[in-house]
Amino acid sequence: MKKIYLHPLPVRVWHWINAFSFLLLIVTGLQIRYRDVIKMTSFKTAVDIHNIFGFVLFFNFFIWLIYYLVSGKFNIYIPEFSLRSLIEGSIRQARYYGYGIFVGEENPHHSTPDNKFNPMQQMAYLNIMALFIPMQIATGLLMWDVKGFSQWIGLAGGIKIVDSVHVLLFLFFTSFLFVHIYLATLGHTAFAHIKAMFIGYEEEPEHGHSH
Amino acid sequence: MFRFYGGQVVKKGTYWNLSSGESIELEREKILPGNRQVRYLKVPTTGIFILGPISGLLFICLLPLMSLLLGITLLTRIATASDALKSDEAAMCMGCHSAQGVVKTFKNKEKVSVYIEESHFKNTVHGFLTCTSCHSTVSMDNHPSAQYASKKEFAIQISKACKTCHSDEQVLAKPIHKQAITRANAPPCSDCHGSHSISKVSGGKAEASNSQYCLTCHKKDLNLSMKGETLSLTIDETILRKSVHGNHNCSDCHVSFSKKSHPVKTFGSKRELSISVAGVCKGCHPEKYKQYQGSIHSNMLMQGNLNAPVCTDCHGAHSVGPKALAETISGVPCRKCHEATFEAYKASVHGQAKINGKNGAPICSSCHSAHEMRPALASRSPRATCMGCHRNASELHKEWLPNSDIHLEAVACTACHVPDAERRVYLRVTDSASGENISKARVKQFLGANYESLTLAKANGIEDQQLWDMYRKLGDSGTKASLTGTLGLNDCNQSHSLAPKGKALKQCDRCHDADSKFFKAVSMAIITPDGHEERYNVNPAVLSSMFTILPLNQFYALGSTRIKILDIIGIMMVVGGMSVPIVHLTLRILTSPIREARRLNKLRKEGRR
Repeated sequence: MKKIYLHPLPVRVWHWINAFSFLLLIVTGLQIRYRDVIKMTSFKTAVDIHNIFGFVLFFNFFIWLIYYLVSGKFNIYIPEFSLRSLIEGSIRQARYYGYGIFVGEENPHHSTPDNKFNPMQQMAYLNIMALFIPMQIATGLLMWDVKGFSQWIGLAGGIKIVDSVHVLLFLFFTSFLFVHIYLATLGHTAFAHIKAMFIGYEEEPEHGHSH
Repeated sequence: MFRFYGGQVVKKGTYWNLSSGESIELEREKILPGNRQVRYLKVPTTGIFILGPISGLLFICLLPLMSLLLGITLLTRIATASDALKSDEAAMCMGCHSAQGVVKTFKNKEKVSVYIEESHFKNTVHGFLTCTSCHSTVSMDNHPSAQYASKKEFAIQISKACKTCHSDEQVLAKPIHKQAITRANAPPCSDCHGSHSISKVSGGKAEASNSQYCLTCHKKDLNLSMKGETLSLTIDETILRKSVHGNHNCSDCHVSFSKKSHPVKTFGSKRELSISVAGVCKGCHPEKYKQYQGSIHSNMLMQGNLNAPVCTDCHGAHSVGPKALAETISGVPCRKCHEATFEAYKASVHGQAKINGKNGAPICSSCHSAHEMRPALASRSPRATCMGCHRNASELHKEWLPNSDIHLEAVACTACHVPDAERRVYLRVTDSASGENISKARVKQFLGANYESLTLAKANGIEDQQLWDMYRKLGDSGTKASLTGTLGLNDCNQSHSLAPKGKALKQCDRCHDADSKFFKAVSMAIITPDGHEERYNVNPAVLSSMFTILPLNQFYALGSTRIKILDIIGIMMVVGGMSVPIVHLTLRILTSPIREARRLNKLRKEGRR
């Protein structure tokens, strides 16, 4: 077994703060939107918690942004510029998840600190980090002070549009969470990736045995 | 020098007694006989003989002249004799009627004093007449004890005497007489002109003030009949004097009437008269009148609603009270028409504060303003109305209410502060630039034929598709207009039942729950030309429809008006997300024999090597 230092401390801290915030935001978000179905806390408490962790997520986003800008490792999120190799890489990865993994083929992608994500991950996380989370934060902020940001809400097309975008992203994140957690169990052991996210080191079999 | 009296000591000479014509020769100084009344003339006898013929000649010459003078004198004496006769009649009447305290009792037990102040009567226009000129049944020889039913009956009978001198033509020439006399139950002449103190009405009372002049008649029991209605023309002077206009002259308001002019005016009804007369108020109160003109009351009137209030309906006509009176529980005029609303107010926190004398407690005009009274003011502009007094309301709400500013804008104060009322969402077409609500005329203009289809609502009310069409049409017409929503009360009367602060709704869950009752009634409200709002029923489902994302882009309540289609998309996304691991894991379990077989195969190959 060889150990690769895949997740530096700032990334791990950011990830788990993010994870915790996401869970609370999803739960309180459900409570805010579906009070007729779920009654865990009062609406007011749900809104207060949602606001607090919204800001936690907001500031946490900057931990991530500053770390990657300062460390110069931002390119791990950037897919290859060659469309051909991007498509080939994606098909190879999709083929693995859709076929190879079932017949015991080896994962075509090997994570290294400089090449952490496979092409599909790169596209997904670039969208999430550069587009979806900023949009979720922005729409959340607009709804946090509707009156104060009324000009911006007007530009966005009204409060219903802003809320719909926020809800659609929330639904996306919720459904993505299931996939994300499941994929995290596809390391060489079920907890390999998850453990790595705590200790920073990913353990990998010497000769790349697959299970 | 030549004249002497009886008893006087005189010198010698011849003295003629002027009374008897006798002459007395006195030889020496002596006393003239008789008393002082007896006059004597001292003329020498020779003088008599000289003056005698001269006087005779003069007498003959002056005789025609003297006879003429005598004739004149005699005629004068005859006239004087008639005067004396009249004077005798007056003296006879006044013998009794100058005594105060003598009263005549009518059949109905009414009493009237028969005392006459002769000097006053002599100064009236009828001063030259004698008593029997009018009281024709009475003479020096005959004083019948006439029996009249009442004082009024007596006045009517006696007033008939006026016609002896004043012909119908002369009387009817005056417009006011035409009005007063030609109808049934007309007042007798004496009602207006008096009896023994008659002076000319016009000009005769030049000294009297304008008001006193008018009140001569109008303090009496006068009525005007108009098409089945009776208008009292009687003015209670004490009420008039107590009013804020107590020092004004009648013609200050009744501008076409004066001491010299009393035009005949005809009105279809008492109401028409009130409306017409109220117009004079603007002469002195132009500002208030201008404010009134923009009000719902004025608009109702312009639309032909004669029951719409005019100045006098709230302020009274002759009893106009001070402004402060109109701001008291007992004196507020609004309650006359808005009784139910007023009762709700009285029971409210505001009404109770007012009743308990709390300084500055609001009454109707505090929120609705007095003259520029506008409808539904409170529900459309909560800031302007309630926060005019509750200036720190915004700060107080910020302490606990997230997004308090937007709440205070979209939720009428009453929606929370009248806790037991039914709520309704009002959608109004609003000019995006000014924030003002757009009137029916303009909405119609923008929507054209679409307006009719909008208002011809379906069974469930206006549907989302109709709002979407309307929104597009408004956009096409180049108008920056949108629908703004407000959560208010179903019945505006309930807005007045404001509860004490502690009882106001503070639980967010009452609103922010799809099960909330507050979003189950929706209306589109369009302002009509008279300032009212026409309400069209809207299907409450529009609040959570995808079609209203743009038309209703300013009205959204978290949870309760959530867009339903997003829920369906959400379920699909989450189920999709969850199914990825489930399906994949299942496939991995199912395919594990393949992997196991391939692993063994591989190991076998490695073993062979």
